[in-house]
Amino acid sequence: MPKVFITGLGFITSIGNDKAAVTQSLRELRHGIELYPPFQKPEIPVKVAATLKGFSADSLDPEDWTYPERYTVKRELIRSMSSNVLYAYCAMLQALEDAKLSEADYSNSQTGLYASSGGSPHMLGNMMQRMHTQGVMRCSPMGIVASIAGTLNFNLVAHFKIKGASCGFSSACASSAHGMGFAHDEIALGRQKRMFVVGAEDININSILPFAGMRALSLQSDPNKASRPFDVARDGFVGTGGATVVVLESEDEVARRGVQPYCEVAGWGQASDGYNVAISHPEGLGLRSAIENALRSAKVAPGDIGYINAHGTSTPIGDISEAKALRAVFSPSGARPAVSSTKALTGHGLSLAGAMETGFCALALRDGFVPGSANITNIDPACADLNIPLKTEARQVDVALNNSSGFGGANVSLVLRRA
Amino acid sequence: MREALKRCSSATVEAALQFRKTNDPTHVSVVVIGVIERFVEPSLRPKLHSADDDLRMVEDLGIDSLTMMEIVILVEDVLQMQINNEELRHLRTVGDIKTFIDCKARGLPPPKPTRHLPIEHIGSVMPIQPPFLFLNEASINHQGAQGKYKISGQEFFFQGHFKDNPVMPASIMIEAIGQLAVLALLEGVIPVEEGKVVDPKTIFFASSEGVRCHRICKPGDVLVISVKPKRAKMPLATFEGSIRVGQEKAVIAEEITLTFGTKDFVAEPVAPAPTAAPAPAPEQAVVSAPAETPKPAQSPLAS
Repeated sequence: MPKVFITGLGFITSIGNDKAAVTQSLRELRHGIELYPPFQKPEIPVKVAATLKGFSADSLDPEDWTYPERYTVKRELIRSMSSNVLYAYCAMLQALEDAKLSEADYSNSQTGLYASSGGSPHMLGNMMQRMHTQGVMRCSPMGIVASIAGTLNFNLVAHFKIKGASCGFSSACASSAHGMGFAHDEIALGRQKRMFVVGAEDININSILPFAGMRALSLQSDPNKASRPFDVARDGFVGTGGATVVVLESEDEVARRGVQPYCEVAGWGQASDGYNVAISHPEGLGLRSAIENALRSAKVAPGDIGYINAHGTSTPIGDISEAKALRAVFSPSGARPAVSSTKALTGHGLSLAGAMETGFCALALRDGFVPGSANITNIDPACADLNIPLKTEARQVDVALNNSSGFGGANVSLVLRRA
Repeated sequence: MREALKRCSSATVEAALQFRKTNDPTHVSVVVIGVIERFVEPSLRPKLHSADDDLRMVEDLGIDSLTMMEIVILVEDVLQMQINNEELRHLRTVGDIKTFIDCKARGLPPPKPTRHLPIEHIGSVMPIQPPFLFLNEASINHQGAQGKYKISGQEFFFQGHFKDNPVMPASIMIEAIGQLAVLALLEGVIPVEEGKVVDPKTIFFASSEGVRCHRICKPGDVLVISVKPKRAKMPLATFEGSIRVGQEKAVIAEEITLTFGTKDFVAEPVAPAPTAAPAPAPEQAVVSAPAETPKPAQSPLAS
């Protein structure tokens, strides 16, 4: 099977709007969390979010949106977007430039796009309200394609003239990790030469606050303490949005185009908890199987793994079950890979998380650093035996693992190898 | 309403306010053009100011069927009227839209919608047949007819016109205008005596005036042919005609006159009457984004 490489990245994230800024934030452990103005009301107990800088896309009319000057989005494109699509559009432009791809390179039947976003509750809610108050025929003709869960793939595939495989993934916080895995397979099986993997989410009241109802959000008002995976005082995740685009290419394409890849996607695995609709398995059984499947697929031993980018969302239950899964896989052989959760910096990007954190791992493998796990003051005793670096370490690892888990107990683990 | 029209010109807002206040239909066209302008890419907006009612929404202004609906929804909001999908699908040009909205505002019945005639229909009614028929498709509305002909390069006359240099003969282009005028006559653009119809066997060329060719046409070009009736008095009918290729003027004919006769109208259940043109496709939900390049749409909803 042909090898699969990551050859391009694009980021619109709370810790940076390009790979240089993201790398710097990861090295210096600078978080992107702040008091989020729309939350500063007495009736809203959640106060912080990991915000995007340079974008304003809360208006229900996309033509009102503002975004960094380096991008221009035509009306005929922006009218069918939700804000997560705008972020992904910008990240896509970065990724194309980063991978040095021309339109002839990517607009062909050998190039596909797998996208993951939760859609736009913000736009959908507006459309429903308009339908009920103004009448059925007064809904925007773009209402559906701008709001439902496929909005990301609909828009990007059309706008970038993608002609190969395309679809969306809907496994909540594991979605874009699934996208990565199946995109890897498309190339490994010889069906496609190149895949774009996109994860994106809105960031607004309607995309984040519904998670407060399930008591999943941190109620911390101090941005420096809100997201602290593996800390004993963690109290839930911090919402974020944005987009990441990862470009995958076959080894033949890498050779033909003469590009220097970030790393290889060596394999992946998935497994499900079969346990609860929203709570992860207390022993982390599904994630454990997913990691084992991933290692087997990549033909690597637990001892080969140098760094694990944990799912680690900073929820009390989730972090413990992940720690148990890691212990079960790695402890028997005495392996002690570095484990960190970059969600301490970025908050939790939901469908975006898998692609974003794969992007972080790719940067770490190429540039030779291990991202630290920020904001830990008192490590949870239940995680204390893991090798969790509190600071980013400047050292080269050869193989990294990226974990993602989603609602319904879906778990995905991706193996990335230094190119 | 100012909020709804916030991206339109101040003249548009002013006209809309006046219409709301006075119900005076003369303001309607300013509002309609203002709303269309708001949705047209800035680079194409100057075209709208050329006051050309023949500007086509899809081909000339890059308005796709979804944008057409955005325009309709905004016009509905501002002018407080209802436009149904069936009415919408026949509006192809700026003129169609202006006329339609104007009739709506005045409470008049809208003009007969444009009828699109596929090649099968053209072949069955025309006295002229291949290899001398220079129409691939046509549409008829209250103003006249429009047709298209793609020069394939396989036409017999290219063997000699010219040596190693295929150029559409000017005489054939005038012939194409004349053929569209014949079709318009047969489709009833010129009213005839009650109980009579134009007899295809009686139509012949009579004269032409003011014919000018502006552009050489070659295989691959799509001729967009238009005719409008100027005057008619049995047995003569005079049309003005033109051919464009894309945005370029190819031929202008100030007058082309045909002679014609009539025959008794006989209801022939099997004969394809004008209404036998295929009914528009059933309403379809727009399920995929339209291609970026404008393409001729049979109906504003076709996707």
